[in-house]
Amino acid sequence: MSPSPAPSTDALVLADATVAYGRVAALERVNGRVPAGRTVALIGPNGAGKSTLIKAILGLVPVVSGAITVLGQAPAKARREVGYVPQADTLDADFPVSVAQVVLMGRYRRIGWVRRPGAEDRAAAAAALDAVGLAHRARERFGTLSGGQRQRVLLARAIAANPRLLLLDEPFNGVDAVSQDALLAALAKLTAAGTAVVISTHDLALAHLACDDVCLLNRHQFAFGPPAATLTPELLRATYGGAAVELGAHGVLVARP
Amino acid sequence: MRYRGDVRPSPAPANPGRSARAGRLTAVVLGLAVTLALAACGSSGGGSEARAGGKLRVVATTTQAADFSRMIGGGLVTVTQLIKPNVDPHDYDPSPADLNALASADVLVVNGAGLESWLDDAVSASGFEGTRVVMADGVSLREGTGAEAGKPDPHIWHDPRNARIMVSGIEKGFAAADPAGAPTFGRNLAGYLTALDTLDRRDAAEIATIPARQRLLVTNHDAFGYYTARYGLTYIGSIIPSFDTSAELSGKAIQNIVTKIRATGAKAVFSESSLPPKTADAIGQEAGVAVIAGENSLYADSLGPASSAGASYLNAEEHNTDVIVKALR
Amino acid sequence: MSGSLGTLLTVPFERPYLTRALIELLLLGGAAGVVGVFVLLRRLAFLADALTHTVFPGVVIGFLVSGQHGIFPGALAVGCLSAALFTGLAATRRVAEDATLAILLTGFFAVGVVLVSRRSSYTSDLTAFLFGRVLTVDDGDIVTTAVVTGAVVLLLAALRKELLLVAFDPQAAQAAGYRVIALDLALNLSIALVVVAAVRAVGTVLVIALIVVPAAAARLLSDRLLVITVLAALFGMASGWIGLLVSYQVSVDHGIRLATGATVVLVLVAGYLLALAATAARARSRRAAPGALPGSATHPALAGEAAGPAAPSATDAPARAAPRGPVR
Repeated sequence: MSPSPAPSTDALVLADATVAYGRVAALERVNGRVPAGRTVALIGPNGAGKSTLIKAILGLVPVVSGAITVLGQAPAKARREVGYVPQADTLDADFPVSVAQVVLMGRYRRIGWVRRPGAEDRAAAAAALDAVGLAHRARERFGTLSGGQRQRVLLARAIAANPRLLLLDEPFNGVDAVSQDALLAALAKLTAAGTAVVISTHDLALAHLACDDVCLLNRHQFAFGPPAATLTPELLRATYGGAAVELGAHGVLVARP
Repeated sequence: MRYRGDVRPSPAPANPGRSARAGRLTAVVLGLAVTLALAACGSSGGGSEARAGGKLRVVATTTQAADFSRMIGGGLVTVTQLIKPNVDPHDYDPSPADLNALASADVLVVNGAGLESWLDDAVSASGFEGTRVVMADGVSLREGTGAEAGKPDPHIWHDPRNARIMVSGIEKGFAAADPAGAPTFGRNLAGYLTALDTLDRRDAAEIATIPARQRLLVTNHDAFGYYTARYGLTYIGSIIPSFDTSAELSGKAIQNIVTKIRATGAKAVFSESSLPPKTADAIGQEAGVAVIAGENSLYADSLGPASSAGASYLNAEEHNTDVIVKALR
Repeated sequence: MSGSLGTLLTVPFERPYLTRALIELLLLGGAAGVVGVFVLLRRLAFLADALTHTVFPGVVIGFLVSGQHGIFPGALAVGCLSAALFTGLAATRRVAEDATLAILLTGFFAVGVVLVSRRSSYTSDLTAFLFGRVLTVDDGDIVTTAVVTGAVVLLLAALRKELLLVAFDPQAAQAAGYRVIALDLALNLSIALVVVAAVRAVGTVLVIALIVVPAAAARLLSDRLLVITVLAALFGMASGWIGLLVSYQVSVDHGIRLATGATVVLVLVAGYLLALAATAARARSRRAAPGALPGSATHPALAGEAAGPAAPSATDAPARAAPRGPVR
């Protein structure tokens, strides 16, 4: 485990948190801390509670026991500084909105009600779009981009507000290699500047490659720690149930995520 | 994060949108132009401004009002009739042509007694500024019963004595609007009053030939209140229990009328010219009595079209009496 | 043909009742066009249609209580109530929304018909509520319409970026802390207000066309939200103008009765078909010239063609081959 810095600089603290929809607990007793500038991967099969945890960090799903602390505050209060990147394929490809307009959406909260975006907002949006390598597509309709490019635009949208904590829900699903690179590059720049990142993903190799810590989840937490310690065959088998297959000493293949 | 890759965007391509945007704009403009052109093809000069050749411009609402106006006005008036034959006068939506006619009319002849509920809006919208003749002024109105309680029965013209009052009112209105024509209007009125008296005597005599206990009238809707009161018929009921032809029939209402028909021994059910005879047929079958429909339908709300037996008021009333007498005698 | 385009444009100002009818239709066409864009984006066409049906008993109750002057308050009260009801319904997510809307729509409408048929002379009133009587609107009606449509357009203009976000990505809107239900309520109320304002002139049955068609036609012609909104408003207004004048000329010159409201709807549909034809023609010409760049595809049927991974990636930046294995 990496040395834990003083709690007040942690972007995210999960203290024995149990998250529930109504009476049904979706996720029980999750622990962990994400300091500034660090990246955590949430790994687990479908229905494990990864999206639920992300929603709880956003303050959209109640924490019934334990606590989630975001940037030293309750999740709902910290929203202004938390960025969220959903999966791009849930969005309507025919929607008459340009790439630049989508990125600008990330600034709405800052702009406030009724007022129009100003020069500062446009500049922040342009910079964010540049950070994901799509500045040259700014004027085109969002739906004309490829899936991976759309995902990058959504990341730019979240970056435009200069978040201190960034949550990404399965950002690499169905994304081509070029866009994956672009996403990772942008995230690298963000973490270098101090933003903490939480990514839920199935891609074990990417988690290994890009993340400081891994959190294994399947309605309970199975591990929280660096990839080397957590992405082991035993832990993965425990997390995924019977869906993991060992490949000798070199790793584990997850057959049915 | 440990990834340290680097992504440099390629140089921006030429703006692809410009020609496409111009193309779209052209499409929009063309589309609007074509639509406007098509609409324009239907337009022509302002027709309704034609001079009426010095004649008094009269707008009449109902078929009866129009007929009376023509009879009294003769060659000195042009009459624009709003409601065509077999159109329900209770439910009418004035067209632009109607509103234009109203705008330039000198005299407006209406039935009144609540028949034309749509009229006030139309009159105020058109900006009509002439003389309004309400034919029901001076007529003693009978009141409705049951669902129509508290409301006057507007079918005043079926009693020729009321018709006398109505045409007298029209003559007064015309004479006031066109004093030069007053003598002509007066002569026309005198002639028509004579015709009305003849009609009245003839109808009374015909109905007297029906045996007293057969003088039972069942109609489609309650339009003959003044007629039955004048000539001593008994009104059993109507299929649609209201002054308005569009009220809904309930099962109970149907049973009521069938029971009454059987109880009183009424010989026939009379349908009317402006309504389909289906319901009358059904009730006639149910009660086992004759249904008088088709060519023999009564002229209840409306006069008939130009070539029919009921094209004028006098003809229509004679027709009604003939049909009733033949069926009940 | 003794007429001219010029006559078409000046006639409305020669007849006071036509001028009033024209102003009413312009106000409604513009507001309905703008509202329609948001209805299109948020996919609320069915809900908007349901609102036109649920407003109807309010119209009838208002009329029964205080005649012509009761129509607007009655419709307003029931319209706002329905908007709130539908918003709440969508939020519960427990019952299949479409089915529930259909039940409410027909139930409310039936209540209205039952109430109105209790009066013995109801068909003319019924026809007026369903199809409108634009030729007899008075100054009071115009003022009411102007106030209501003005309020709606102002509200939508004020909330436009938040409404855009909610329509595009409700998840992100929620994550950002916006109360999606409140924004939906604002939009649903706007739709209800336009329906209520339109009852007098166009009637409840035809107002849905005025809301949906201009936005749909505008969407065919442009990809940019601002352009779509302006086009929709213009199209709504132009259709009102042309429909009014066509029904006027046909009545005055040929004695044929064309109900104004229905004629406006026919013009709307004709305009939509023109837009469709224009889009198809442009698509065919672009297919014939393969050098065109994919970014300008607008017709929904062609969107998939342009969004395929092959073409866009070619303009992307493969700065280096990405290493796929673990790299320390």
